[in-house]
Amino acid sequence: MDVGLTEDQIALQETTRRFLEEQSPIGALRRLADKDESFDPAVWRQGAELGWVGLFVPEDHGGFSEGFQGVVDAAIVAEELGRVVFSGPFHAVATVAFAVAQAGSDAQKAALLPALVSGDAIAAWCLSGTGAQSGVEPGGLAVTTRGDDHVIDGIAGYVQDAAIAQHLLVTARSDAGLSQFLIPTDTPGVTILPLELVDLGRRLAHVRFEDVVIGAEALVGEAGAAAAQVERQLQVAVALQCAETVGVVDRALEFTLDYVKQRYAFGRPIGGFQALKHRLADHVTQLEGAKAAAAYAAKAIQDESPDAAIAVSVAKSQCGKWGTEIVRDCLHMHGGIGMTWEHDIHFYLRRAVSNEALWGTPAAHHERLCALAGL
Amino acid sequence: MNTEHLDTDEQRAFRLKAREWMAGRMPPRDPQEEPCDLGDGDQIAKDRRSQRILWDGGLAGITVPAAYGGQGLDKRFEDIFLEEAEPYRLPWVFGNAFNIVLPDLLAHGSEHLKTLYIPAMLRGEHMWCQLLSEPSGGSDLFGLLTRAEKRGDKWVINGSKVWTSGGHFCDYGICLARTDPAVPKHQGLTMFIVDMRAPGVTINPIQLVRGGSHFCQEFFDDVEIPEDHVVGEVNGGWTVAQTHLAQERISMARGWHIGLRTPAKAETIEVQTSYLDTARQLGLEKDRHARVLIGEAIAIDAVYAMTTARVGKGIRSGALPPTSGALSSLMAANTAVRRTALLSELVGPAGVAVLPGEEEPVIGMDRVCTHRIGGGTTEMQRNIISERHLELPREPSLDRNLPFNQLKHNSSAMAKS
Ligand SMILES: Cc1cc2nc3c(=O)[nH]c(=O)nc-3n(C[C@H](O)[C@H](O)[C@H](O)COP(=O)(O)OP(=O)(O)OC[C@H]3O[C@@H](n4cnc5c(N)ncnc54)[C@H](O)[C@@H]3O)c2cc1C
Ligand SMILES: Cc1cc2nc3c(=O)[nH]c(=O)nc-3n(C[C@H](O)[C@H](O)[C@H](O)COP(=O)(O)OP(=O)(O)OC[C@H]3O[C@@H](n4cnc5c(N)ncnc54)[C@H](O)[C@@H]3O)c2cc1C
Repeated sequence: MDVGLTEDQIALQETTRRFLEEQSPIGALRRLADKDESFDPAVWRQGAELGWVGLFVPEDHGGFSEGFQGVVDAAIVAEELGRVVFSGPFHAVATVAFAVAQAGSDAQKAALLPALVSGDAIAAWCLSGTGAQSGVEPGGLAVTTRGDDHVIDGIAGYVQDAAIAQHLLVTARSDAGLSQFLIPTDTPGVTILPLELVDLGRRLAHVRFEDVVIGAEALVGEAGAAAAQVERQLQVAVALQCAETVGVVDRALEFTLDYVKQRYAFGRPIGGFQALKHRLADHVTQLEGAKAAAAYAAKAIQDESPDAAIAVSVAKSQCGKWGTEIVRDCLHMHGGIGMTWEHDIHFYLRRAVSNEALWGTPAAHHERLCALAGL
Repeated sequence: MNTEHLDTDEQRAFRLKAREWMAGRMPPRDPQEEPCDLGDGDQIAKDRRSQRILWDGGLAGITVPAAYGGQGLDKRFEDIFLEEAEPYRLPWVFGNAFNIVLPDLLAHGSEHLKTLYIPAMLRGEHMWCQLLSEPSGGSDLFGLLTRAEKRGDKWVINGSKVWTSGGHFCDYGICLARTDPAVPKHQGLTMFIVDMRAPGVTINPIQLVRGGSHFCQEFFDDVEIPEDHVVGEVNGGWTVAQTHLAQERISMARGWHIGLRTPAKAETIEVQTSYLDTARQLGLEKDRHARVLIGEAIAIDAVYAMTTARVGKGIRSGALPPTSGALSSLMAANTAVRRTALLSELVGPAGVAVLPGEEEPVIGMDRVCTHRIGGGTTEMQRNIISERHLELPREPSLDRNLPFNQLKHNSSAMAKS
């Protein structure tokens, strides 16, 4: 992450790494995939107990951070999760916890936050539609009023962890603007349509809303006035994803370097051939850029800097593009063995490729950068 | 935004002194002007005057020891100075002197050389060039052919240097030459100070692709150098060159022209508004493809700035090794190449052809000139990164242990054109 971590942050990084290496090494993901499962609820609960979700939740609801104070620490956790291609629902739960802690009613906070912090409950965020702008712009769901109730219709696309969640945070548009709601997944009219994924340690679904009627108590914040809050959530979601990608690439490059140093061809280690050396030099340079950009984005959000929105899209541009490029080439440098199910590298590449596409492609973030710059 | 609120009393006093001294004396900064045009004699004359103004105001060599004419202050004072200097053009043509020769002298120079040359440099009296590359090759620096022989109490130099930035305007050059060809190539080199106006020095400017003349070829015919003008040890030139090259990389990584971007500004993302203006001029502001190109240009500029800041911070704190400067260098080159490709795609034919009197088709020329060759090619940076940073095996070399005079050299070497 940042080159200037505090002692506490280094301790957080080390405990998280040790826990994951013991409880959720990459081999665990292969075993889950062999059984057609995508995550281990017991490991997720233990991770949550380490305080991962609590980074976004104030003390009186079971966590230990106020406001934006947990973003840099959460990015440190996300990077560690990336290093083992972790399969638990950290990203979705953390983002919803952040949203509810920021904008939820007291009743919503009391009902949901302690259960998210402890790992007992899982929540997912329905933000976008299924089009190319999915992950960067709200869309897909429309809300109207019927008496005192709100009625939601449409399809939310690529919703992370909807299939295992008990709660949905829903962003929907009306003529007045954006509104957010917190509802149980089993609310009548809600249908989860699980998707088949490239990334084997993740779950995505489209979520169909057909005449879903909900009461005013489900509103998160004010009706029609959620745009700024949605932007903040989006920033947190993208920044955490970028930090995760950094971990994915960092680890993949690490074991690729080990491999090219000990694999011999033509009487020397293949890592001595300039064709590979120069590509690896480019990769570590772009990875340094990804680390710099991801760290900058997390800190900008935490400090509520005016350039946070731009920083987040800059980070996604760099991490999205180079994440895939670097890990793809790491697989290549393994030769035939890199193409096998037994080897770890494909899990890394699957995660890198999915992270590039989800929460806004680099191209979508480039367009967003133009808008943020005033074009 | 500046960091005035962090000043101690002493720093505040220094800030006010700098502010007051420069006002009305230093030339204003013109964003259109090239920071350093070594083909422009007027700019060089102007910068010599500015350096003298800084000297007179006690603002030259802020971190240089007082014994050599500097101010003997820490880096915080330099940052304060740079914040205050933001409205002015700084004497950027002295880049070689301050970025490279000064640290070489401080680390390896004798007391005599330090007192002789550092104060004069700070007064703006001496422009310096670096005489390293030769017609036979620049990447393989330590394979250079220029000879220096001891005759009586003088060293006598024969050979040729080339691609010397600013050679024709410089007063002195720091020059690596071979003093012992009977030992392996790294061991027989010595670093000298050469008076560019000494008898036997011929300087020929070389025209660059953009026109103008920025660098030169020099021929040395029995050029005499005083015995005490050796920097470091005789046959210890390799050691001095390590400092030299490391300083060059660090300076390139940080930005060659100190103060062009102030430290405080480097902490926020700056978006080049010219990208947006170009899109508007071409009526492309709503075009999705154009927006994707511009967005990427904004992103890579920001990533480059963040990476440089991160690497600099990491090197200073020890979290990253000093060779990491090569990461910033390589990213600078890759970013420049990508940026010009993006802008060329954005503007299309307008980047390569315009009516007379219209603005120069700069984007296309940027594309022609965007390479990293000076200061070590990108291949050399990649070798450094892969070998020293990633600890991958070194290139097999045929020349490391053999005496230099038994190696193969370029047939074209030393040929006088
Ligand atoms: C789908 C598939 C089908 C195959 N089918 C067959 C088959 O039917 N029969 C068969 O015999 N083989 C088959 N192969 C094997 C294939 O030919 C080898 O995988 C390939 O030649 C690479 O060898 P390797 O895997 O040992 O990698 P290595 O040779 O160990 O290479 C590892 C990496 O180092 C690089 N490298 C190696 N030497 C150098 C060098 N000098 N300079 C620069 N880079 C270098 C390589 O490009 C590669 O990226 C198949 C492979 C695949 C993936
Ligand atoms: C604008 C500019 C300013 C300069 N200013 C100065 C100056 O002030 N003083 C000075 O001394 N020099 C200066 N130089 C020279 C510069 O340092 C050299 O041009 C550079 O080191 C390359 O040397 P060369 O031109 O001889 O190319 P070569 O060394 O002949 O290289 C030719 C090509 O081969 C590649 N190559 C060489 N060896 C390897 C290898 N082992 N692996 C892979 N590829 C390799 C190089 O990367 C390059 O692409 C300047 C150059 C430029 C362009």
